[in-house]
Amino acid sequence: MNEPQQGEFQITSENDIVMARKVVRDAATTLGFGITDVTRIVTAASELTRNIYHYAKCGVMYWRVLNQDTRVGLELTFKDSGPGIPDVERAMEPGFTTGKGLGMGLPGSKRLMNEMTIESTVGKGTTVVVRKWLKQ
Amino acid sequence: MALESISVIKLKNLLLVTVPSDPDDETISALQEQVLEAMAQHEAKGLVLDISRVQTLDSFFARTVAETVQMVALMGGRTVLAGMRANVAVTATQLGLTVGNALSALDVDRALDLLNAAHSGVRHV
Repeated sequence: MNEPQQGEFQITSENDIVMARKVVRDAATTLGFGITDVTRIVTAASELTRNIYHYAKCGVMYWRVLNQDTRVGLELTFKDSGPGIPDVERAMEPGFTTGKGLGMGLPGSKRLMNEMTIESTVGKGTTVVVRKWLKQ
Repeated sequence: MALESISVIKLKNLLLVTVPSDPDDETISALQEQVLEAMAQHEAKGLVLDISRVQTLDSFFARTVAETVQMVALMGGRTVLAGMRANVAVTATQLGLTVGNALSALDVDRALDLLNAAHSGVRHV
């Protein structure tokens, strides 16, 4: 196995949303996800990358392959030092937004992935971790 | 990276736009502007958005498409989304996206039939 097991990608411009999608698409495809799961993972990555670009201006996405006992998965971490989310619970409600979006990004991404955790401190930044497990 | 080019093709009184496979936000916004300009210029009665190449339909894309459908409607036109891939449809629905009042068709041929039928006064259920 010579495929890379992890990587990172800096998000600094709008075009990086497209580039992040490519990085994630390649990683998910290489890992063996089917086309619908690849599309789910890439779409979640698109939403979470756009959140960073819109709310924090810049940040970083880390991806890594997870090997746990009998299962294999892909983990994506989106980290920024932006304004933070004052009320994470509300941010997870469909339709709630403080920006110009649809308010679908966070709750939608959670539905597309298997696991999602958000850590956010106002004035410090936000870290969103999502995971998708390969079906056996 | 340069904008992916978009061509708006006039077919009789309809417009056909092929959306590139992985457009950035700027390209999607440019697409909306070009479509609306072409609607006015050609006095078009309908728009077919061929999205058969599109691999990722996220919330920004969906919102811009929904807005475009609404704008085209205000200009007297109908919009048909043609050729959405199954995996894209599954994902967009799970994400919670809708594309407004767009009609949809399996491919461009059926989309053109749908718009022509609408204009010739044929009623469809």
